[in-house]
Amino acid sequence: MAAAPAIVFRDVNKWFGKLHVLRDINLAIGAGEVVVVCGPSGSGKSTLIRCVNGLERVQGGDIAVLGASVTARGVNLPALRTRVGMVFQSFNLFPHMTALQNIMLAPKKVRRLSHAEAEKAARALLARVGLVEKADNYPANLSGGQQQRVAIARALAMQPKIMLFDEPTSALDPEMINEVLDVMTTLAREGMTMMCVTHEMGFARRVAHRVVFMDEGQVIEEATPQAFFAAPKSERGKQFLSKILTH
Amino acid sequence: MKKTVAVVLVLAAGLALAGPVVAQQDTLEKIKSSGVLTIGTRTGSPPFAYINKNNEWVGFTIDLVEMLVKPSVEKAVGKSIKVEKKESTPPTRIPLLTSNSVDLIAGTMTDTPQRRESVDFSLTFFYTGAQFLVKKGSPIKSINDIGGKRIAAQQGATNAKIIREKYPQAQLREFPDQPAAFQALLQGQVDAYTNDGIQLYGLKAKAPNPNDWDVVGDFYSEEPYGMAMRKGDTKFKAAVDAGLKNGFESGKYFEIYDKWFGPKGELPYPMTPPVKAYLLKQIGK
Amino acid sequence: MSYTFKWSVLWTGESGRWLLQGLLTTLELSALAWLLAVALGIVAGALRTVRFAPLRWAATSYVEFFRNVPLLVWMFFWYFGVPPLLPRAVQDWLFNHGAEFWAGMLALGVYHGARISEVIRSGIQSIPRTQFEASVAMGLTTFQAYRLIILPVALRLIVPPATNESLNLLKNSSVALTISVAELTFQTRQIETYTAKAIEALTAGTVIYLVLCLSIAMIMARVERRYAIPGLIARVGPAA
Ligand SMILES: Nc1ncnc2c1ncn2[C@@H]1O[C@H](COP(=O)(O)OP(=O)(O)O)[C@@H](O)[C@H]1O
Ligand SMILES: [Mg+2]
Repeated sequence: MAAAPAIVFRDVNKWFGKLHVLRDINLAIGAGEVVVVCGPSGSGKSTLIRCVNGLERVQGGDIAVLGASVTARGVNLPALRTRVGMVFQSFNLFPHMTALQNIMLAPKKVRRLSHAEAEKAARALLARVGLVEKADNYPANLSGGQQQRVAIARALAMQPKIMLFDEPTSALDPEMINEVLDVMTTLAREGMTMMCVTHEMGFARRVAHRVVFMDEGQVIEEATPQAFFAAPKSERGKQFLSKILTH
Repeated sequence: MKKTVAVVLVLAAGLALAGPVVAQQDTLEKIKSSGVLTIGTRTGSPPFAYINKNNEWVGFTIDLVEMLVKPSVEKAVGKSIKVEKKESTPPTRIPLLTSNSVDLIAGTMTDTPQRRESVDFSLTFFYTGAQFLVKKGSPIKSINDIGGKRIAAQQGATNAKIIREKYPQAQLREFPDQPAAFQALLQGQVDAYTNDGIQLYGLKAKAPNPNDWDVVGDFYSEEPYGMAMRKGDTKFKAAVDAGLKNGFESGKYFEIYDKWFGPKGELPYPMTPPVKAYLLKQIGK
Repeated sequence: MSYTFKWSVLWTGESGRWLLQGLLTTLELSALAWLLAVALGIVAGALRTVRFAPLRWAATSYVEFFRNVPLLVWMFFWYFGVPPLLPRAVQDWLFNHGAEFWAGMLALGVYHGARISEVIRSGIQSIPRTQFEASVAMGLTTFQAYRLIILPVALRLIVPPATNESLNLLKNSSVALTISVAELTFQTRQIETYTAKAIEALTAGTVIYLVLCLSIAMIMARVERRYAIPGLIARVGPAA
């Protein structure tokens, strides 16, 4: 955690029309750090994480990723995004491509790898997420857990420095959650910088270096998982945890 | 899909075999029971049949029907009748007739042997021939000059056929109606517009600058206009012809002609002696 | 008194050649217009879904302007309206080299392009926005995301309504006879004038159009099956 920060939010403010969704966010995430973002629904977690790769623009403050601004005018977003992988709640595999083709697409089209190189790398990634034998399956013929693992492999194919996860297990049946969390855990152990929006408190406890708790567009508290789960400092954090844990 | 094709073919064949279903009733009977003689005529062929400035549907042909044919048909059915007009164009007029939508085509239809195979024609009530309308000073002076030139004609007209068959070197462009063909001439899409001379005189008279245009060439076709009827309905044809014949004999026809084509008429087009002789020859004079 | 059918008029004399010529002209006119319409439809349909407002407005103006004026008017526009803007010599050259065909092709292509773009737009909009986000999140540009993901998926979804539009285009190609293009309907009318056998000529035309339409429908059904996305059966309804 001593390395230069990978992501820095400075005085970030964002509105959707009149709705003030991010309020004065100041947050830094170090290289190799795994941060779990949690908070009630509608608190702005997704919006926060989507600002990191420019899927949402902010109206105030700035965000720097790997030392380069995301929020300045005229930023080359495609170039920046090759260094930041993202995994969505709804998998978002491309339905007209097989698992292998999904993974090979960006390396071929953006990194300009040859077909053979891209395929070799893609098969290696499929092996990493335990799905070699599903290479030629279309998304419709994969379970939710398998689709999400392919989606992770697809994001990794660009060899990103940072991975963003927006509730990657929320759309999954309970028996498939662990296969995805296992992949994420391995990734964290390998030293990937990760920003995860998730309510999987077990995962947060085991893997995260830090938990960021948000409510109503604000960062209410930041703490180690141990400290946060043992005794949140804020009243809202307590309420939130009691709801999650009794649930 | 194959099945659909088969069904359609069967339907088409059925239509073919169902010929007699399209059988036609006796027109006089029909008029007697309905009290209406329905004619198919034009809305934009002055002075034969057109909508005038007062929004009335009038013209030479319409007068012939009202003043000569109608009394004669009334006599044949023994009661007074009304004349109703429907729009008919060269492509639609024969179908309108065969489908019983109209009883009589009274427009600017040329009587040809081919058409006589599917309809009957009354006595000729007007005689003209095909010529060319060109911009003044055009190198086209007659049909001998049209090689390689772009010539507009009206789709379905007899003169288009003649050009196509006898002068294939001309580039024929066929338009469905007169305004489009004339527009093409005005703008230079074509070098000449060919149609029956009388029609061309009508167009010229209506043009923004009539003096910019010339009607040139001898009649390269004979265009006797007749009224068309369903084929084989001899009683109806007799009634229509009797009306026209009576008009020629009494001179009423020539009065009507004068009203539209005389010096003070809508379109001055004095009747030449050969034409008058041709018309009268029909009634044995 | 009855109508006597004489089907031989369809193959005696020049009828057969005319029908064939008309058929070829109709196919040529429709095929070129279709290519133009699909190209315009894809561009305009895609632009109507992008974030950048000026492009969206431009595409919307094209669509609303062209699809809300009758095709006949566009035929006249391209044949009578456009040539006077060109130098006289160019006009003459065009008039001697099938200007009416090209005018008809443009009218048909631009008009149906506007209509097809609506079909394509509805196809694109039926794809979740997150598919686009997933594409650009990997580093694809907006253009690449449309070309590689959004359009390939949308085009597969819209085959049925696009078939419908293609059939409309084919049938509408007959409007070109108003500017003297000698296509199939023109030739059937010609046979009718020459032979005065209206029902026979109309039947011939009808059967040819029908066979053409059925063939297109069959081809498109094959295309749909061939490129079906596994597991995706969601379909987009016909264009409004
Ligand atoms: N594209 C959008 N347009 C308008 N409002 C939005 C949009 N996306 C999110 N919001 C609103 O912003 C707030 C924060 O949303 P989000 O970041 O998705 O919260 P979370 O992920 O914590 O549930 C919510 O009130 C949500 O309704
Ligand atoms: Mg969310």
